[in-house]
Amino acid sequence: MARNSIYQEETFPSPLIRLWHSFRETKVVMIGFSCFLFLFFLAVFAPILTPYSSVENNLDYLLLPPAWDVNGDVSFLLGTDNLGRDMLSRLMHGTSLTFGLSFVVVITSLVIGVIIGSLSALTKGIKSSFLNHFLDVILSIPSLLLAIIIVAILGPGLGNTLWAIILVLIPQFVHITRNAVKEEFTKDYVLASRLDGANSLRILSYSIFPNIIEKLISQATLAQSAAILDIAALGFLGLGAPIPLPEWGAMLSNGLGLFYTAPWTVYLPGLAILFSVVATNLVGEGMRHALKQSKES
Amino acid sequence: MNLLDIRNLSIELHSSHNSILAVDRVSLSMKEGEVRGLVGESGSGKSLLAQAIIGVLDDRWHVHADRFHWRGRDLLRLTPEERKVVISQDVAMIFQEPMACLDPTASIGEQLEEAVNSEQLSGYFWQKSQQRKIAATKLLHKVGIKNHELCIRSYPHQLTEALCQRVMIAMALAKKPLLLIADEPTAAMENSNQGQIFRLLASLNQLKNMSILLISHDLENVTHWTDTITVMYSGQFVEAGTTKQIFTKPYHPYTRALLDSSPKANIELPAKSRLMTLPGSIPILQHLPIGCRLGPRCPRAQQECVQAPKVKNFHGHQVSCHFSLRDNY
Amino acid sequence: MAALLQVIELSKSYKLSGHWFNQKTVTALDPLSFEIQAYKTLAIIGETGSGKSTLAKLLVGAEIPSTGKVRLNGQTLNAENFKQRCQHIRMIFQDSGTTLNPSLTIRQLLDEPLKLNTTLNEAQRTQLIQDTLQKVGLLVDHMNFYPHMFSGGQKQRISLARAIILKPQVIILDEALASLDPSLRSQMINLLLDLQQQMGLAFILISHNLGIVRHFSDDMMVLADGKVVEYGKTADILNQPKHKFTQKLIMSQHFQLLHK
Repeated sequence: MARNSIYQEETFPSPLIRLWHSFRETKVVMIGFSCFLFLFFLAVFAPILTPYSSVENNLDYLLLPPAWDVNGDVSFLLGTDNLGRDMLSRLMHGTSLTFGLSFVVVITSLVIGVIIGSLSALTKGIKSSFLNHFLDVILSIPSLLLAIIIVAILGPGLGNTLWAIILVLIPQFVHITRNAVKEEFTKDYVLASRLDGANSLRILSYSIFPNIIEKLISQATLAQSAAILDIAALGFLGLGAPIPLPEWGAMLSNGLGLFYTAPWTVYLPGLAILFSVVATNLVGEGMRHALKQSKES
Repeated sequence: MNLLDIRNLSIELHSSHNSILAVDRVSLSMKEGEVRGLVGESGSGKSLLAQAIIGVLDDRWHVHADRFHWRGRDLLRLTPEERKVVISQDVAMIFQEPMACLDPTASIGEQLEEAVNSEQLSGYFWQKSQQRKIAATKLLHKVGIKNHELCIRSYPHQLTEALCQRVMIAMALAKKPLLLIADEPTAAMENSNQGQIFRLLASLNQLKNMSILLISHDLENVTHWTDTITVMYSGQFVEAGTTKQIFTKPYHPYTRALLDSSPKANIELPAKSRLMTLPGSIPILQHLPIGCRLGPRCPRAQQECVQAPKVKNFHGHQVSCHFSLRDNY
Repeated sequence: MAALLQVIELSKSYKLSGHWFNQKTVTALDPLSFEIQAYKTLAIIGETGSGKSTLAKLLVGAEIPSTGKVRLNGQTLNAENFKQRCQHIRMIFQDSGTTLNPSLTIRQLLDEPLKLNTTLNEAQRTQLIQDTLQKVGLLVDHMNFYPHMFSGGQKQRISLARAIILKPQVIILDEALASLDPSLRSQMINLLLDLQQQMGLAFILISHNLGIVRHFSDDMMVLADGKVVEYGKTADILNQPKHKFTQKLIMSQHFQLLHK
């Protein structure tokens, strides 16, 4: 494409920005993405924004139904639970626990997985195979079981269950990184870089990572939806956040006994979990679709 | 009678901003038993033209022509689906990378049997699978593969590209086509194997009187095997005529430039001297020049070249240029 | 003229892994020697599997030779030392989607060898990049574009710019012209000839197109199955091929050289 300086009205975006443009084109994905951003915003600012405290008991207003019900009260928009705590505040605070922590979990396992995967791709032979597969044994243990085992060994607490989930998510990042980096090594521009005298670290950061980052992000969104469900499940079993904290899974298990008298204490946290998982999956789908389109064009 | 008669075919790409004329009023005609070469560099629209003839372009492309006759039948009156049915009975196509066109998970024998036309099999239905096998073996013999057992049992990745291309030609021959369109059949092969495929196509043309439309970007290579040649540039028709006319007396500056860049012409030049080239590069689809698309690069371009030139016919040698080189001869 | 590049008994063999007790060695390249001078071009011809790509990789330093050495201007080049080699011997690859890094601008692409191998500051580097781009026939504005915006011919010019930016003495063209359209190929050949005259480069052209070889090279070497089958001046070999492999190659390309 011969270009002269006459054609100045055209802009020349980088490949990542072009990916963003094709990502933006699908309406459904943009809805999912805005929900994702909304949840992220809530997760960060929830402690400031909640109208009431999410942990303090409020014995005057036990089991109030949501505001649209006949007996409800507008000042408690989504009702209260059996200890008088406002459901809306609890749900908002729960965002930063379930959603926010899942984000942290995914980022940590991404970083660790990428480091191990890159080391595995840079070495050859037995060392490489060892690094690639030594965490595979974790894939055979379901995450809940692993969390229970770790809690049994190390004692209950939020941190320990998070370590369990991080461990479970690492192997997939190791494999993806190793395969992507090995594939990039066959390309000519990496050879040209090496011939210029670049050392391995420089080749990794300049030549390889910008080109595999899309694959990593789409894998990360898959991992995040799994992480949300895992944290909620562990909370449901009582293994996650300690009791007063309004993690969505814990709220579900709390409300289960009251299902017939106060169904909103069950379906509201369930809807919240559904909403966040759907939003994450839409973002992941959009990313993969944009990747496929950019490869085809 | 002309087998295929196309007049002023245009292919437009409608996008959200504007519509781009990827192929601009190209005319093509083929007689029975003729081997025609369609030559053009990348971006000339030759593959698009072939795909428009077969009818495999998707909805983004709009094809219109003044005349599109197949064996005397006017195809423009039919719907695209009916057109596809008529064409696919008599026209076959082979593509550039044969190994990629074959199913990697099925053996060659299975794919050949699938290609065999069931109408040509006679007999009861339990005899049909045996007949299919025999028909597949016969097809392999027709393209010159003598030891068919090894070939039938193998998978595409175990064969060379030249062998895969022969298998593709065998599959194309299964429905006894009248016209075979070969879209750069030897681009992915070693130079020494290219001759095999061209010889096979030439023998098929002589034995079965099958017309061949040979698409290539290498003018010199194609002149050995074709009777007539059509040259295209950037979607526009440039020149057409018999091989001898085009090779010895090219009328269009672009054809002249193509011949100058071929090895035969450069034998005359001393080693390591500058070659004759056209300056500039091929225009991209988004910024096509108005009128004659060679204008910006042509050494003989003048004011009139802003208008697209009409096709002039001199004893069967057609050229589309305001300032053709005819006067030089 | 004293030889610019001397290759002495260079060979490469691989051990086939997987057989612990009976390790087979595969010889990709038998020991060979040749010489090149400045302003001259050597063409290497052979089918796939003849060892020509192995030879290219050995010369540029991407692989370590089993025996033999490479001497530049009398100095032996160390196989592991990329920094020493890359200032003198550079390579241009066959154009595919992977010669240029798709997420770097041209400026960053050309900056990289400069940052790693020279001590110029930012302004000097920018100036050098602009000069090099103009030398290969591109515009200065192209510095900020990404590789996906360029056509095949322009991408090869950018690869050429990447090769000459360190002012090397030998450039290896690994099938660099094979995938170009004929008119672009002629433009590229003219450009290479001009640069050879201006900068005194020696080219090693790996190709299987005898037309280009005949026009562009002074000496020629034919490889088959890792062995040198013929080596000498291009005109001599093409006029009187001695080995049947060369004869077959010439016949299959319908090539008839007129005797002067």
